[in-house]
Amino acid sequence: MIGVIDYGLGNIRAFSNIYKSFDIPHRIITQKHELSGIEKIILPGVGAFDDAMKKFNTSGMRNTVEKMVFENKIPILGVCVGLQMLGNSSDEGVEEGLGWIDANVKVLDTEKVSHSTKLPHMGWNTINIINKEELLFNGIHDKKRFYFLHSYYFDCNHEEDILTLTNYGFNFASSAKKGNIYGVQFHPEKSLENGEKLLFNFAKI
Amino acid sequence: MMNNKTIKYQVCTNCVMDTSDSKITFDDKGVCDHCITFYNDIEPKWDTGDKGHKELEKIVEKIKNQGKNKDFDCIMGMSGGVDSSYLLYMMKEKYDLRPLVFHVDAGWNSQIAVNNIERLVDGLGLDLFTEVIDWEEMKDLQLAYFKSGVPHIDSPQDHAFFATMYKFASKHKIKTILTGGNYSTECIRNPIEWMYYQSDSTQLLDIHKKFGSIPLNNFPVTNILWHKIYLPYIRKIKTYRPLDYIPYIKEDAMNLLVQKFGYQEYPQKHFESRFTKFYESYWLPERFGYDTRKVQYSSLIVTNQMTRKDALLKLQNKPYDTETIKNDFEYISNKLSIDVSELKKYFQMPKKTYKDYKSQELIYNLGAIGMRMLGLEKGGKR
Amino acid sequence: MLHPRIIPNLLIHKKGLVKTVNFKNPKYVGDPLNAVKIFNEKSVDELIVTDIDASVKGDEPDYELIEKIAMECRMPLCYGGGITNAKQAKEIFRLGVEKISISSAAINNPSIIPEIAESVGSQSVVIVLDVKKKFFSNGYDIFTHNGTKKTGLDPVKFIRKIQNTGVGEIVINSIDQDGSMKGYDYKIIDDVRETTSLPMTVLGGAGSLDDLGNLIKKYSIIGAGAGSLFVFKGKYRAVLINYPNQKEKIELIETFMV
Repeated sequence: MIGVIDYGLGNIRAFSNIYKSFDIPHRIITQKHELSGIEKIILPGVGAFDDAMKKFNTSGMRNTVEKMVFENKIPILGVCVGLQMLGNSSDEGVEEGLGWIDANVKVLDTEKVSHSTKLPHMGWNTINIINKEELLFNGIHDKKRFYFLHSYYFDCNHEEDILTLTNYGFNFASSAKKGNIYGVQFHPEKSLENGEKLLFNFAKI
Repeated sequence: MMNNKTIKYQVCTNCVMDTSDSKITFDDKGVCDHCITFYNDIEPKWDTGDKGHKELEKIVEKIKNQGKNKDFDCIMGMSGGVDSSYLLYMMKEKYDLRPLVFHVDAGWNSQIAVNNIERLVDGLGLDLFTEVIDWEEMKDLQLAYFKSGVPHIDSPQDHAFFATMYKFASKHKIKTILTGGNYSTECIRNPIEWMYYQSDSTQLLDIHKKFGSIPLNNFPVTNILWHKIYLPYIRKIKTYRPLDYIPYIKEDAMNLLVQKFGYQEYPQKHFESRFTKFYESYWLPERFGYDTRKVQYSSLIVTNQMTRKDALLKLQNKPYDTETIKNDFEYISNKLSIDVSELKKYFQMPKKTYKDYKSQELIYNLGAIGMRMLGLEKGGKR
Repeated sequence: MLHPRIIPNLLIHKKGLVKTVNFKNPKYVGDPLNAVKIFNEKSVDELIVTDIDASVKGDEPDYELIEKIAMECRMPLCYGGGITNAKQAKEIFRLGVEKISISSAAINNPSIIPEIAESVGSQSVVIVLDVKKKFFSNGYDIFTHNGTKKTGLDPVKFIRKIQNTGVGEIVINSIDQDGSMKGYDYKIIDDVRETTSLPMTVLGGAGSLDDLGNLIKKYSIIGAGAGSLFVFKGKYRAVLINYPNQKEKIELIETFMV
């Protein structure tokens, strides 16, 4: 049973529509008691870092999720701001991140970006898969495109936590992983077939 | 009406038609009347060799002459299906005709169909016309058919196609209609009991009157007197099936289309229209016991494109995909703006037939007898 | 490398999909839901869907239709038409839509921009400006209500005024070029591009893949929107949903993008 956390931000429906089309059992979680029996967690997120952290912290679900992730080793997938929340902090705001992956969220370095709209990084961009064996990207070829919409990126302090790199003026981590904790900067729920495959893979991990 | 349950089950020893066609008869060797009609009436007159080829050339000459100085010399409908696509290719490339190509968008187009139409039209350098059926009216009419309880619930789409075809032919003063109908894969036809004449506007309008909720203002409606008498005899519009004059093997045709045009194969028969797929693979067999695969395979059997053994083997599987049927139910319900439970209700309601509503059946029967007497039509629906 | 977005634009009028010319004479082109499904299967980059009746009639957004459309989109969807407050925007997001577009609401009351942005994030707020060339000078006017009401506002000035108030994207829609398939109006595109570095999408006039290519050539990262191009085929304007396949799209972008 997949649990999609609804703490007030993110396109919850889109995740639900995809799992529904695959007939994969899933539940939308708004309260901590609904987490009972959940085997995998999706942590969506859009908008500003501080807003997301505040909403998640006051949702009443944070502690339970943390327990499930660290004690029960329940796989969790952070999406977009959901990935950023997994880090220590963000330059975008003042709130503390979850600190579950050692990384800091910084503004994208667009010095080498030549076109007018430097930020946000918006549109379909390619991912370079570092570890081709990684199950999250099973069946997804290298250089496949996903939809991005963000101005900040997840700056991992440990190279081994980086799963994929994407180029936007420079190479930044478009996805990361530490043990059972995963995060993707792009929006798999809106990345057509590639995104559906990734969400399907996450359900099967 | 005869109750299927009281008939003893029997299947043809030559093809795979059986007593789910309640009007079927068998000779003393257990061969059904569909086969006998084919062997006696169709096969002897069906030539795809020199004779057929010459006949087709004569027809093409006539078409070209009649079409001189006109924008188009004939009209062809494109559904995106193999038959009409192959026909279009043949008539344009091999016979040099200038067809007005039209497509009727009844709201159920699959992406593959749309893509295939585009590929063919682009690949052949042809210009396309489309008729877009008012979806709100189509939806309402479709629901009316569900509510009527009859088997032929795909009539709205088919009727719209025919009506549009005649409308375009008349409007553009085209004398010749070419269709992809062919003996090769359709010599044995769906019994009328299963699929009543879709062009019968009396039936369509009666079902709409009884179960429809919005007026049919934009929906194209044809009339049997108009298209079976006025157009052919007064306006002298003729219909031909060129695929009957040349060798036509569906698999070869498909391969050619794939190679020449990047045509995409359909995962299932009739997948050009999501509704037709649902109708033929699920609704008709599961609700009424009418499995159209039997008709299709039987046609292939008598034309030596499939063995009876293979057909029987295939018929052992369900006609629909058990894994995706739930999605199909949801898709159809969603499109028609009803709940799945309402669609299920229609599935379970008492079965009706075309005889329960007004029809022009008498005219069709008189016409068919007349045509056969004049030797103008071989075989045909029964 | 980031690619520019090629975006089909769908207009909804009386529950049906329509195409206009110069924002007039809506021609029925079919069921919006089926069109969305087909575009989804064609893997389009993004979709813009606008209800052209809602503002004019003052109706609430058609939530039922929005929900159905959102269910079919596995790529970003921008929905607009009749949105005048943050509550409506929130409900539309809840139904699975990523971006909402506002036009007359933002023009009549620009403070609604930060209001909605605060509630859902600025990345999700798209401002659509329907523009028409002035008769007697080189400038442009912003119009609302399907090109029927002249606001007297200059698009460049208006954009300058609102660009830092929570706008995620600007869509410039040329009334003059709408439905013409004769190419984009580069004058206004150039003016707006010079004025703001906000993400930009342009609509109105695309008649061929080359038109999209030339836009990409000039601006590289921009949203290339098109309505007629992806809905009509051939000289008789037959209704046939089309969109370049992956191979054709990559070829187009790689050919034109410097």
